[in-house]
This record gives sequence, C-alpha cells and structure tokens, in this order.
Amino acid sequence: MPSIPLGFASPFVLAALVGLPLLYLLLRVTPPSPERVPFPPLRLILALRPKEETAARTPLWLVALRIAIAAALIVATAGPVLEPLPEALAGTGPLLIVLDDGWPTAPSFEERRTAAGRALEAATRASRPGALLPLSQASRGIPLDAPDKVLTRLRALKPVPFLPDRLAAAEAIEKFAAVHPKPAILWIADGLDSPQTRQFAERLKAVAGAVILETDASPIRALAGARNETGSLKLRVLRPLLSGPGNGTVRALDRKGLAIGEAAFDFAGRAETEASFELPAELRNDIARLEIAGERSAGAVFLLDERSHRRRIGIISGENADLAQPLLAPDYYLKKALLPFADVLEAGPSAAEPIGTLLDEKASIMILADAGVPAGEAHDRLARFVEDGGILVRFAGSHLAGTFDDLLPVRLRLGGRVLGGAMSWDTPKKLAPFERQSPFFGLNVPDEVTVSRQVLAEPSPGLPARTWASLADGTPLVTASRQGKGLIVLFHVSADTNWSNLPISGLFVGMLRKIVDLSVASQGGAGDVPQAEAKTSKASLAPRQTLDGFGVLGAPPPDAKPIPAGFAGTAEPQHPPGFYGSPEAPAAVNVLASNDTLAAADFSGFGFRAERLSKEQPIDLAPWLLALAFVLLAADTLVSLWLSGALRFARGAAVLLAGLAVAMPAEAQAGEARGPDRDLAAALTTRLAYVATGDARTDEVTRDGLLSLSHELARRTSLTPGEPVAVDPARDELSFYPLIYWPIAPAEPQPSREAAAKAARFMKQGGTIVFDTRDAPLQREGAPSTPQGKWLRTFLEGIDVPALEPIPADHVVTKTFYLLDGFLGRYTTGTTWIEALPPPPADGSPRPARAGDGVSPILITANDLAAGWASGPSGESLFPLMPGGERQHELALRGGINLVMYTLTGNYKSDQVHVRDLLERLAH
Amino acid sequence: MVKAWLLGQDTSRAGRHHESRALELAQRLPRLCMAAKEIAASVMHGVHGRRRAGAGETFWQFRPFVAGEAAARIDWRRSAKDDRLYVREREWEAAHSVFLWIDRSPSMAFQSSLAREPKVDRALLLGLAAAELLVRGGERAGLLGLTPALAVLNIVERLAAALLAQERAASYRAEELPAQLSLARGSQLVLTSDFLADKDAIGNMMESYSAQGVRGHLVIVADPVEETFPFSGNTELLDVDSEARLRAGKAETLRAEYLRHLALHREAIALAARRQGWSVTLSRTDRPATETLLALHVLFEAGAGFTASEPGVFG
Repeated sequence: MPSIPLGFASPFVLAALVGLPLLYLLLRVTPPSPERVPFPPLRLILALRPKEETAARTPLWLVALRIAIAAALIVATAGPVLEPLPEALAGTGPLLIVLDDGWPTAPSFEERRTAAGRALEAATRASRPGALLPLSQASRGIPLDAPDKVLTRLRALKPVPFLPDRLAAAEAIEKFAAVHPKPAILWIADGLDSPQTRQFAERLKAVAGAVILETDASPIRALAGARNETGSLKLRVLRPLLSGPGNGTVRALDRKGLAIGEAAFDFAGRAETEASFELPAELRNDIARLEIAGERSAGAVFLLDERSHRRRIGIISGENADLAQPLLAPDYYLKKALLPFADVLEAGPSAAEPIGTLLDEKASIMILADAGVPAGEAHDRLARFVEDGGILVRFAGSHLAGTFDDLLPVRLRLGGRVLGGAMSWDTPKKLAPFERQSPFFGLNVPDEVTVSRQVLAEPSPGLPARTWASLADGTPLVTASRQGKGLIVLFHVSADTNWSNLPISGLFVGMLRKIVDLSVASQGGAGDVPQAEAKTSKASLAPRQTLDGFGVLGAPPPDAKPIPAGFAGTAEPQHPPGFYGSPEAPAAVNVLASNDTLAAADFSGFGFRAERLSKEQPIDLAPWLLALAFVLLAADTLVSLWLSGALRFARGAAVLLAGLAVAMPAEAQAGEARGPDRDLAAALTTRLAYVATGDARTDEVTRDGLLSLSHELARRTSLTPGEPVAVDPARDELSFYPLIYWPIAPAEPQPSREAAAKAARFMKQGGTIVFDTRDAPLQREGAPSTPQGKWLRTFLEGIDVPALEPIPADHVVTKTFYLLDGFLGRYTTGTTWIEALPPPPADGSPRPARAGDGVSPILITANDLAAGWASGPSGESLFPLMPGGERQHELALRGGINLVMYTLTGNYKSDQVHVRDLLERLAH
Repeated sequence: MVKAWLLGQDTSRAGRHHESRALELAQRLPRLCMAAKEIAASVMHGVHGRRRAGAGETFWQFRPFVAGEAAARIDWRRSAKDDRLYVREREWEAAHSVFLWIDRSPSMAFQSSLAREPKVDRALLLGLAAAELLVRGGERAGLLGLTPALAVLNIVERLAAALLAQERAASYRAEELPAQLSLARGSQLVLTSDFLADKDAIGNMMESYSAQGVRGHLVIVADPVEETFPFSGNTELLDVDSEARLRAGKAETLRAEYLRHLALHREAIALAARRQGWSVTLSRTDRPATETLLALHVLFEAGAGFTASEPGVFG
C-alpha cells in the first residue's frame, strides 16, 4: 500500500483550507487600489460615467498568489512532516518488536526507537496489532496494548547500562507466540555476538512467522581492563566491527568530572587496541573515570576505584645499601615484589631524614626493613602517619632483634629464636595455613617456605587476634595491630633471605599484595582489623552513583542492589555499573570485564530478512512552508506597490543608492591621488619640508620661514629648492626630503607610534630632523623643563637618539657655507644640540673643522629658527626678534643656509678647509 | 505605464504658495530666458535671411523734396552735394505691437513622463521666444496687461521680470483666459495656453478682442498624455484645479470617448478662431519648441495680414 509519507502534527488545522474559496471570492471582488493620476483635461470628460466601473478586478494571478500564501500558512500551521514509513510486514499475525536496549544500542538509540515507532505505525495502518519487547523488560511479559500505549512505552524507553538476559526474553517471546501464533518479529538488534545471542536467534526462528533483523551499521567502541602500571595507565579499547573511525581519544576525568588527560588510540585495522596515559602516579591515582570522547554509551566509560590506584610505598632499610651486592640488600626482594603493582619510593642513601623524606613524598605504605625508629621527630611523624590511616610494615632483622620501639603490633621478646641452626635440634619451621580471619586467607602456603630465624612475640591475651600468619608450631610470623586509623604490620622475619626463604617465594608477593590492598580498606576507615575484615567480607556495598545506558553518572535506579564486598564481576541488571560503597573509597563496577572482547554477530545462517537501521530523519516541512509563505508575501507586497504605482519612489531611492555606491569609491580615490603626485614632485625637486603640527599659527610661521630660507638659498647658493612642503609623518613618505623642520607645539597630541617609528626610520636612513622647541626665553638653568621640552622628551622616548652635545665651535655645520658662531633664530639664547662628534684627535693639532662620518640625524634647538628666517617682501624680518636687529635676521638666515648645506653636503667642508694643506703636501 | 504629475505643491489652492511658485518660476526663468533666446536665434537663422534692410534705425532713404513740404525736412548736407533738394526719410516707425499672454493656471503645471518639459515651461518658453523674435524683427512686444509694448534688446529679461513681479503680488491669481483689456487697433495677441477652458468663453474672448480690431494667434500647449490618453487599468483621474475626480475601472475604455471630446473641443476653438481670422497652433511638449516657434515665425513673416485662411497646425 504505497502512501504519501506525509503526516500532520495537528491535522484539524487543515480544516481551515475549506475557507480558501471564500478567500478567493473576497480577493476577487476587492480590486487593488487604483492608480491616481492628475489629468488637466478631465473636465472635458467629467460628464461621462465610465461604462464599466467594476470591470477591473484583482488579476487572477494575484488572487492565486494570495490564496497560495494562505494555503501555505494553513498547511504549515498543521505541522506537516515528511516521513517515509517502512513497508508493512509480511504475514497476518501481530507484529512483535524486539528491541535490544543494552548499552551497545545507546549511541543509536534514537534511531532504533524511531525505527520501532515507524514499524508500529505501519502495522497500525495495516490494522495489525503491535507489541513491544524491550529486551531488558522480558520479565514483565509482552502485553498487546493499544498502539498509542505501545508508542508511549516506546517513547519512555532508555538504554540500560548492561547486556540484558536474552534467554529470559526468549522465554517471554515463546509465551507470546503460544498465545498469538506465528507473529511477525522485528528484531532491532545490537549486533554483538555472544553464545546467548545465537541461542536467542534460534529460538526466535523457531516461533516466529517471519523475522526482520535490523542492525545498526554505525560502529560502537568500548573500554575495558584498565591497568595502572608502572609509569602509565593502560586500558583496552574494543570494537566489534573493523569499520568505522579507526582512531579517537580517551579522556580521563577525576571524581569531580574535571579532565586530567587525554590519550589517543588507533585501531590500525584491528578490533582491539590500547590507550595509555603517561602521567605521574599522583595524577593517575586521581583518575576516576575514563571515557571515549564522543561515544555515548555505558560501555565507553570505564570507572576506576581505589583498587586500580597505584600505592606509593616507601621503603627504608636499616643497613646501608651495599650496591656491590644487591642481592644481599635487605630491600631487594621487597622492591622486586612490589614494583609490578605499586610505586616504590626510596630515600636516597644520603638522605638525612629518610622517614620524613618519604612521608613528604606522600607514601601511603611505609615499609621499614630491619630499621629502627629512633625517638624523635621521625618517630612522631611516623606515629602520626599511622594514626591518620597509613600502613606501616616492618620486617625483623638483627637491628630490630636488639632494640624495640613502640611502633610494633606486639611486644617482642628480646633476642628471638633460631631454628635449625648448626647448634639447634630444630629444623626450620614451615608455615601453618592461614586462618579465616587473616587477610592472607586464600593464599596457598607452599611447602618449601621455611623460617630459620625469627623474633618472638611476648605472649599476651590479644596475641592470637593479632596474628595474621603463624608457623606450623603456632608462633606468630606476621602480626598486625590497628593504631588509630592505620595499621602496623610486623613480619617476624627479615626482608632478605638470611632468616627465611619467604622473600623469594611467590607467597611473599601475594602477602604484600594483600597488605597493599588493605591500604585501600584501611583508608576507607574500618574498625579493628581482623574483625573489620571479617565484617566487610560479608558486608555489602550500596550503590552510590550508577551509569545509565548513555554512560552518564547519576542516582542509582531503585532496582539496583548492593554488591558484596570484593565483588569482581561486571554489571548485571541488579548491579548497574557505577560506584558502590562509601564516598571516600567507592568500589567501581564496570560494564566489561578486563578480558572481554566484542565481536559482531553474524546472523546470515538464520534466514532472517536483514535490514539496516534507517537513518532517515522525518523532514519537518513547516519551516519551509513558512519561508515560502514569507517569500510569496514579500512578492505580493511588491506587486501591490507596483500595481498602485507607489514603487516609483522605491526605484528612485534605489537609483540614488546605486549612484552613491558608485560615487563614493570615486571620491575616495580622488582623495588618495594626492599622495603619489606630491611624492613625485618631491622626488624631482629638492625641497625643504616641515611637520605640520596641527596648530595653524605655528604652521603658518614655519611655512613663511622655510619659504624665506628657500628664497635665500636660491639667491645665495647653487641650490634652488622647490616650495617647502608640509608633511605628516604618519601618512607621507619622508625619504624625499633631506631636512625636515619640526616645530614643537605642546598643545597638540603626540603623533602615533607608527609616525614616531617612521620618523626614526627616516633619521636612520640619513635624513635630518631639526626639532625646534621655540622656548629659549622660558629656559632657565635648573628650572623644570618646559611643556615643549616635555613633549619632545616624550616623543623621543621610543626613538634611538644618538648622544648629543651643544654644537662645538669647530663642528663642520658652522663652516659649511658661512663661518658661524651659533644658530640664531628669533631668539639667541637657546642652545642648539647636535650628534656628539668623536673626540678631537689626541695629537692636539688644531683643526679648523671636525666632522663625524655622516650627517647628524637630529638637531634640537630652542631658538625658533623658522620665525627668525621669515622675511617680508623687502627682506625685513616678519617677526620681532629678540634682542632684535637686521643683523640677527641675517645671521639666522645664514644659520639656516649652513644647516641646509650641512644636510646636503655632509662632511665635505671639513675636507675643504684642509685644501691648502693638502695642496702644499702635494707640491712636495 | 505613463506617469504624470503636477509641478510644485498643491496648486489648486490659493494662498501663500504663490510666492513659492514665483520663486520656483524665478529659478526656472533664467534657464527659460536663455532657451528662449537660443531657439529664437535658431529660428532667425534657420528660416532665411532678413530681407528688410537694416533694422529700421533712423535712415530709410533720401527722396527728392516735393514742393509744399516743410522746409525743415530738407536734409541740407545731402542736398549740398547736388543741385536738387533731398528729404531724409526716416524708417516707418509705426511698428506692430504684439501682446503676449501666457497661461500659468494650475492645469499648465503638468508634465507626464512622455513630455520633455512641463506645459507651463513650454508656454513661457514660447512666449518669451516669440517676444525676442518679434523685437529682433522690429516689432514691439509686451505682456498683456502687464507691460506696454516694448522694443528693447533685453526684452526677454524685461518680460520675465514683469511676470515675476506679477506672481509675487499677494493678490495674484492665475487666470485661465486673458482678461478683457482694450488694446490699440492693429495690435496683435499671442495667447499661449492649453485652452482647456470652456470653449464658449474662449470664443467670446476672441470675439471681443476682434471687435477692438485686434487679431491673434492661439498656441495650444498640450502634453502628449492629454493627446493620447494612454491610461489603462484601474485609474483614478484627478482634476488639477478642483476636487473633481473620475474613477475608471478600465481606463482604456474611456480613451475613444475622451479623444472624441478633445477633438470636438479643439474643433470648436479652431472654428471660432477661423471666424475671427485668428490662427491656431498646437505645441506638444514632447516635440521641440522650435517647431512651434518656426510655425509662429512663418505666421509673423506672412505679414501683418494673419490671413484667416490659415487655420493653424494640428499635431
């Protein structure tokens, strides 16, 4: 039954479509507003009545447009959804949807639910009853409800964080089939292989009329088997299919959910790979949760508890380490036994305070191999460490046998005993099997372990309770006692092989491991040790936080049951994965066991109709229809405007805008054209330049001064400069000007850093800038600097200015054209500074002129040179001079000429002044 | 679709807008004066050379003295060259006075997208250009009721200034037809208007002027929209100087009727003009103004006669 895959969220709105013909009539008789035209000869025909007044109706296409708008709006409001439904199933019986809802389905659970929903809908249309069996709810039976109820149940489904029991589900299906024979079954499977799965498939096949198998092609990935090894935390990353993304990242989070690290993994074509966190042990111990980034399922999350933490164990041996004979060192076997599962800390041989050092390194277990604890600070710290929950493990030895301290679980007899020695009848003793209450219970006692020497405990009433291991004759071999929250354990033998061969047996490793594991429990805060052990072994841990199917930690579901202590299994329906027990030391239950693998199921032999999970999303048409209605509405508005003639203004505005758009760039270009033209002119004619300060009065004075100087230059020298030009160091290219005159206007803002950098570059490249502070009358010896001076100092801060000196009398700048004593301007009292010359030659020969290698890049004066230069038409000074006089004006101009000559000719004149000497020398 | 609009603001109400209108006109007038002089010059050079010798300044001819004449008329300098006596005869100075009247009523302030310029601009242009043409041709030109007939070089400016002065006056009210004034016999009238007024009123006006011995030319200024009625669809036609409006559901159905009425109106005017011996010229604003001016010029050239046999030019 092919049908249009169109559904409506609220179909009753479609009833409004009935109103469309009415709308048609309404629109048809309401014409658009007429065009209004002034018409002078109207009076000629005013007497006429138009023959056909109502002839002009709304054009048909406009009516159609408006009806289309209305229809689009109505249909959009009805919420149309384009949703291809699956084909109806074969057969006539009811449809049973078996929905796998274990954690592997979590990433694609939404699609699975949609597929189930669509199958239900298809069945409903075909008038066939539908039933739903989520695999995890097999125990509730399979009710054959009304379709909407089934759909409601379906919508409420969530993936469970474990793999549900398929056999229970198979039983439920068999029961269902007994009532409704030959049901059509749609199995939306998770695609993972297991023996149960094959059995389940076979039983399905046996009862079903037809089976459709829908599997999801998207790959899933899972984490298993995290191992906290030396130096790194490793875990396995699994996938059932070889397809899909081959690499990814595993994130490590601490208990608060903060990221600790990331590790990349790459399957490299295999189904299993390893991710490894190379982190310091302290950080690794903080890791509470590992997850595959971007994978939403409980299987992609691995929880870590205290058991997977690496213990830090501090070892202190009484004897000095004899590196030449490591096998005889008291801690050699200890280290060998502990290293695989713990981090061993050692105090260096030179450590003055080994106990304190190791405690500072946050050891959680301290092992003292035949080392005494002298009273003092170390003793107190160690006692406090034990009180606070640390475990102190001591081994006997020759030191301990002689001196006892109070950090022992039992009182010891002085001396100890020797068994099986040369002077003894006794043979070395074997170990007795461990008692039930001993933490070592369960470890095999090998026969070959013998003890030939030990320290003896003073018999006391509490001694049996404190004994964890004893020799065959009942003498305690390992005793322990609680001290505060912590534990003190004493091995009555030494940690090397002198007293016993226990340290080289496998039992030794097992015992140490049990003690290290105890460290977890002891930090968890149990009661007195043996009793507490006895209790906790029966006690159960209540669920604290559990994962849901998507791998999100949350409150445990009501049907989660406590796990027994020491629970080592994986997640089950009663025990969802998560943290159990006390908040300080929770126990983690994970989805996958450490050696689990994932494999893809192959159902090809069962004759199921296999389908892929459809990823097609239903398309919501409402936004598109609304958009269409909007576009049509806009078109209608435009058309209406056009019909009533109101569009003329709009067109005019558009033309205006377009004109503006064309005109503005043209204008902008016209503005820019100024720079290159001027640069071209500046490059062709040498000319003086000045920096426009922005202060109009100053700039005018400067311009006048430079103009006068240019005239005088043209009149008196062979240089004919062009018109002086104002430059802006921020915008203009400066390299065309040999000399830039920069008057300081303190009221103006500082130029930008770029402008300063440009000026600095200009000076570096051989240009000369004359800064004129124009404040000579204000300068006093010892007075604070003037605003001009401050301004200049601020400006020069970022510029590499050479060392300056007042112009010396023999400087070449005083001799380049005129012989001058100083550079006068409007004032005469200011000092003119120039780049310091190298010191005069030592021979003391009087030289009339000295010059450096180049031209000084900077001159600083206070005499207001430009105002001194400025001349009127008949050569008189434009400004009143101080002290005044024509002579001063003339000298100012001469100074200016010398400056320009200096910048143009450099040190040439310093050679010229020697020409007579040179000629004389040549004559000889 | 044809667009049509009125110039300026709402011209159907009298009041303070006159001043702004005058200013508006003043803004346009220099342009119009220039254009008037230009097209007048082009017409003068375009048709043929002036056949009249000189511009009739002072000297016309010497003729032999006829006994009985006043001796004072003898030109002694000329007569001294000869045995005979000569009389210096001056140019015949009894030039025709031509009075112009330019319609500036609201209906003239109309322009459509088909036209080159508003009707009133065309009317002013034609009037001022005709004045220039007449003055250069030795006639005198003036504005009816505003200025005497003048023969000055800057006639265009003078007339424009007079028009402006009239419009600035607070009491000014644009008339649809020229007022009845008494003119010297032999004067001529050039009336530039759209002549959309009542045809009987137009006939009466012509009749009364003719009774004074005045003859004239009617220049009908028409917008192409008024000639062709290119409207279609739902259209509301608005009158320009009254509140009257006509709504036509299908304007195209009105076209034939309108054109018939227009033809009737024009025919009536032409008939009345012919009866009085006046000429009628049509100036469409989508055609160059020079065409009409040329026609006017030919009419002027035809002499003082303005024979009634020429009914004018239509279209």
